[in-house]
Amino acid sequence: MDMTALIDSLHPLEIKVLTALKAEQAKAPSGALRDDEISQHASLEASQVSMAIGWLLAKSLIKEQHKTVTPIVSLTKIGERYFEKYSPVERILSAVRDAGQTGKRLTIQDIQSREELEASEMSGAIGTLKKEGAIRIVSGGCVEATGNPSPTAESLRTLLQQLRGTKRELTALAEPLRRVVEQHAVKRGNTNEPFRIDDHVDRWYVLTPEGGTAADLLVQQGPSEEVSQLTPELLKDGSWRTKRFRKYTISLRPPRVLAGKRHPYREFLDLVKHKLVSMGFEEMRGSLVENEFWNMDALYMPQFHPARAIHDVYFVKEPTHARGIAEPFLSQVAAVHRDGGKTGSTGWGYAYDQERARRLVLRSQGTAVSARTLASGPKVPGKYFSIARCFRYDAVDATHACDFFQVEGIVLGPDINFRTLLGLLNLFAVEMAQAKESRFLPAYFPFTEPSVELHVRHPKLNWIELGGAGLFRPEVTLPLGVDVPVIAWGLGLDRMAMVALGIHDIRDLFSTDLDLIRTTRGKF
Amino acid sequence: MPTISINLKDFAQLLGRQASGNRPVTAEQLEAWLPLVKGELKDQDAETGELRIELQDSNRPDLWSCEGIARQIRIKLDGAAPAYPFFQAAKTQKRRVQVAPGLDRVRPYLAACVANGYPVTEEALTQLIQVQEKLADIFGRKRHTVSIGLYRFPAIVFPVTYDLVKPDEVRFTPLGFEEKMSLREILAVHPKGLEYGPIIAGHERVPILHDAEGQVLSLTPIINSREIGEVRVGDQALFVEVTGTDLLMVLLTLNIMAVNLADRGASIEPVDVVYPEATDLGKTIRTPIDFGRARSIPIKMIEAALGQALSADQIRKALLDYGYAASVSRDNVSVKLPPYRNDLMHAVDVVEDVAISRGYSDFAPVMPSQFTVGSLSRVEQVSDRLRDLMVGIGFQEIISNIMASRPELIDRMRLAGTEWDRIVEVENAMSQTFSCLRQAITPSLLKVEAASSRSFYPHRLFEVGEVALFDPANDAGSRTVMKLGALIAHASANFSEAHSCLDLLLYYLDCPYQLEPLAHPSFLEGRAGYILSHGRPIGLIGELHPEVLEHWQVTMPSVVFELEVDRLGEKT
Repeated sequence: MDMTALIDSLHPLEIKVLTALKAEQAKAPSGALRDDEISQHASLEASQVSMAIGWLLAKSLIKEQHKTVTPIVSLTKIGERYFEKYSPVERILSAVRDAGQTGKRLTIQDIQSREELEASEMSGAIGTLKKEGAIRIVSGGCVEATGNPSPTAESLRTLLQQLRGTKRELTALAEPLRRVVEQHAVKRGNTNEPFRIDDHVDRWYVLTPEGGTAADLLVQQGPSEEVSQLTPELLKDGSWRTKRFRKYTISLRPPRVLAGKRHPYREFLDLVKHKLVSMGFEEMRGSLVENEFWNMDALYMPQFHPARAIHDVYFVKEPTHARGIAEPFLSQVAAVHRDGGKTGSTGWGYAYDQERARRLVLRSQGTAVSARTLASGPKVPGKYFSIARCFRYDAVDATHACDFFQVEGIVLGPDINFRTLLGLLNLFAVEMAQAKESRFLPAYFPFTEPSVELHVRHPKLNWIELGGAGLFRPEVTLPLGVDVPVIAWGLGLDRMAMVALGIHDIRDLFSTDLDLIRTTRGKF
Repeated sequence: MPTISINLKDFAQLLGRQASGNRPVTAEQLEAWLPLVKGELKDQDAETGELRIELQDSNRPDLWSCEGIARQIRIKLDGAAPAYPFFQAAKTQKRRVQVAPGLDRVRPYLAACVANGYPVTEEALTQLIQVQEKLADIFGRKRHTVSIGLYRFPAIVFPVTYDLVKPDEVRFTPLGFEEKMSLREILAVHPKGLEYGPIIAGHERVPILHDAEGQVLSLTPIINSREIGEVRVGDQALFVEVTGTDLLMVLLTLNIMAVNLADRGASIEPVDVVYPEATDLGKTIRTPIDFGRARSIPIKMIEAALGQALSADQIRKALLDYGYAASVSRDNVSVKLPPYRNDLMHAVDVVEDVAISRGYSDFAPVMPSQFTVGSLSRVEQVSDRLRDLMVGIGFQEIISNIMASRPELIDRMRLAGTEWDRIVEVENAMSQTFSCLRQAITPSLLKVEAASSRSFYPHRLFEVGEVALFDPANDAGSRTVMKLGALIAHASANFSEAHSCLDLLLYYLDCPYQLEPLAHPSFLEGRAGYILSHGRPIGLIGELHPEVLEHWQVTMPSVVFELEVDRLGEKT
C-alpha cells in the first residue's frame, strides 16, 4: 500500500497511538508500551485505545511484543454472601461449638436443617473440618467440637475481609491463603465457590518497521492538527490552512434523508397529462356526482341498458334527483332515445323516462365529462381530455378499486373519420406506451360506431389492450348541438402504471402504507 | 357482454368443409377470425377443445352461440349469406298457437316454430341450452323482456294455446320435481318459481302454454313441464317458443333460434300465432318472420365516415361478405340485414360493418391534421403549483380513494350531530367501507398515518384531490371541490409548525390571509382557526383533538391544514 495514502486514511486515534509509540521508541530501547500506558501517554480512553490498536494491528503498523498473564483473585457473589453471613465451614464450626457449650448434641442433619445449608455445602465443609481436626464425629452420628482451631475457617475469614470490594494478585497472597483460594475458587463443574481467579493479560506493543516509517512521516507532516469538519470559524480566520482534513471512507452507507416527494402514481398521471397537453389536448373537468342524463342518456345508453342497473352504478342517497336538465338537451336526447329524433336513427324505441334522467349517481365513466363538453359549445377543431375519477359498483379486490382514474377525451373536427381515428390511436400507442407495433380490433361501445380497441405491443407487457375508441354516434353528437364528427377515446393506463411502479395489486395505487409510498420509484 | 363456451370440433363442423378443406380448424385460426364477431378468446383447453369466448356486442345476440360465430365467419369465407327458405314459407302451415285475450297486460307476445329432423346430440344440446340461457338472461334481461321454451314436439297436440289461468286452476309436474303441483305451489316452492315469479307477480291470472288436449307445456316464463318440456339427447323434433314484452325482440329471438337449429340440419316449420287483437304486424303472425326492411344509404356518407374512397361494388361486396342483402345504384347502396339481426339504427351501423368486413387493417391510419392548443384547466394549474411548493417544503404526496365510510369521515372526526356532519352518501353501498364521498382530505391522510406508525418520523403528508361538499343549494345537491390537505405528525408536532408551512405556501401564492379562531370538534380548543382571505374562509388549520387521534389509533401528535384550491385561484 502506498504509504502516503495509508497515512491519509489514518483515524485520529490511530495517529495518537502511533505517535505515543514513536515517542517511547525514542526514549527506551525496547520501545514497547503496555495498553494502559498507551492510554496514559496518548490521553485516550481505554476503549479508544483498544479500537485503535485493533485497526493498527490489522494494518500491520504495530505488533504485540509480548504479554504477561497475572492471575487476579476476587470474590464471587457467593463470596460476598459468605462475607455477610459466614461460610459453611465457619457456620458449622460455630454451631458445633455453641452446642458443646450448652451440652446439646447435634447430628449432621440437625446442623444442615438449622443452618439451612445445601447437602453439597455440608459435606465439603464437614470434610474440611474433620481433616483439620476441629470437629469429630462421635457415636450416634453426632458432631462435636474438638477445641482445635480450623486454619481454613480463619483463612477464609481473612480472605473474605481482604478481598471484599477489591481484587488482589494471587501471587501477592501468603502461601496458606493462596492454597485456600485455589481450593475454593470457581472451577469448571463447581461454580458455588466464594473466589474466582481471572487471568489478567497485559500486552506490550511496538511499532513494526512500516509503523515506524508511518510515524516518521507523520512527524514530518508536522504538528498540523487533523480536523473532520470544515467550520465557519476555520474559514473566517483562515486557520483551515494549517489543518489537515481527514479523508473519509466514502464507501459507507449514508444516513437516511426524508424528502418531500410527489406520489409515484401521481407522477405517472402527470406524465400522461403533460403528454396529452403537448399533443394539443385541452383539459376538461367534471363533477363527482352526476345525473343519469349526462352519465348515460346523453351517451345514447338506453335506460334499460344492463350496465345501468342497481348493481353497476352507485346511486346517491340524498338528494336523489337533480332539479332539472338543461334544455334543449333533455328534449333532444329524449327524442333520440324514443325514435331517433332528427338524427336519421330509428332510436331505441321505448318510452324515455325524464324522471330517471334526473337521478343522481356517482360518475361511472369519464365519458360523462365529454358529453358535458359537447353540450357546452366546444371548439371546432378541438381536442379535449380529462383524467376523471370514476366509481363502479364492484367488489374491491386486486384488480378492482372502488374508485379509479379514467383517462379519456374527444377530438372534434370536419376532418375526423375512421382513418384519422386510427391515426390518433397510433399516436397514443407510440406516445403513451412506447409501442412499436399496434393493431386495431372491432369493439363495442354503446356511444360509438365504428368502435375500435387499440392493442399494442408494450416493451414489458407484450400485447395489451391500451384503450378503446370510436366515432361518437350521431345520436350522441346531434342532440348536444355538435354537427361535426367526433372521436371519443379512452385509455386504460392502470396496468402500465402498475408495471412502472412495480406493484401487483391495483389497491396499492392508493396505498396507505407510507413506507411503500416513500420507497416506490416509478420507472417511466 | 356474454362469455360463451364452444367446442372447436363442433365449430369446425358448423363452419363447413369449404372453409377448412380437410384440415382441422385450430384455435389460432379461430382467433384470427374473431374480430369478425367482436370476440375475444379468453380461455382454452387444448385437450377437450373447449374454448371460452367473450362476445362484446350487446346488440348482436345472434353471435352468442357456436352456430352464430360459425355463421358469421362462414359467410365471410363463402362470400354469400346462407339461404333460410323457411322465412318465405308458403301459406300451407296448419300449426297454430292461439293467444288468449288479456295477455296484453301480462306478457303480450309469442313466437314459435317447429324444428323437425333435428338430431339432438350432446354438443347440440349443450349449445342449445347455452344460447337459451344467454339470450333470456342478457338480451331478455333475466327473462323479463324475452324468454325461451323448448319442448319435445311429438308429445304436443296442436293447436297450442298461450293462455291465462288462475294459479289454483291448473296442476302439472314441473321440471326437477316428481309430482304434480298447482301453479301457486310452483311459484311458492320451485327454485325457478322463486327466481322468476316476480316477472308475472301482481296479476290475478298467470300465463301458461297448453295443447289441444289440455296438457300443460309450461308456466311461462318460469318452468316447463317435465313430460313435454324436457329435451333429451336423441330427440328428433322440437317445438320452440319465445314469449316476452317486446314484439320485435320476441320475433328476433325466435329467428335466432330458428337459424341456429337450421344450421345444425333441422327443417324449420313455421307456426301461425293468432292474436285476439291486431299487433303492429297484424292479427296473425307467421313465425319465424323476416320483419327487416331495406334502407338506402348514400355511398358518399360511407366514404366520408371511413375517410376512404370505395367503389359501389367494393361496398356491396363488403356487405354481402358480412351477411347483408345489398344492391347498389349510382349514389346509394340499398341494404337489408339478415332476419337474425335487428341492430341497424343508423347508417353508421352499416359503416362499421363495412369496415369490419373489409378488416380494420385495410384502412391506413391518418393523423388528424388540424392545429389545436393544449392547456390545463385553471384549477389543475393552481393544484400543480401547490403540489410543487408542498414537495419543496418537504411533504410527501399521497393519493387516496375518494370513497370512504361515515365512521371515518364523521364519527372519528367528532363531527356527528354537528353542523359539519352532512356528506354525500350512496344508497346502494356494497360495503360500509366505501359508502360515502369524502368531504375533506384530513381523514384520507389520517388513514395513511394510522397505517404507518412504523414508518420513520417525522411524517409530513399532503394530498391535492377532489372532495364532494354536501350543498343543498347546488343542483346536484353537492359540489365537487379540489382541496389541499396537509398533515404533520411527530413527537413534537404543533400548530406553529403547520402555521409556518401554511404561511410560506400562501406567501408564494400571493394570497394574503388571516387566521380567525374557530371552535371545531376535530381540533383542540384554542388551537384551530379558519384561514380567511379577503374576508372569505378558504380553509382550516389546527391541532387534531387527542380523541380524534385515539379514534384513528394514531399515537403521534398531528396537526393539519386544508385549503380549497378553487378559492386560491381567485384574484380580487
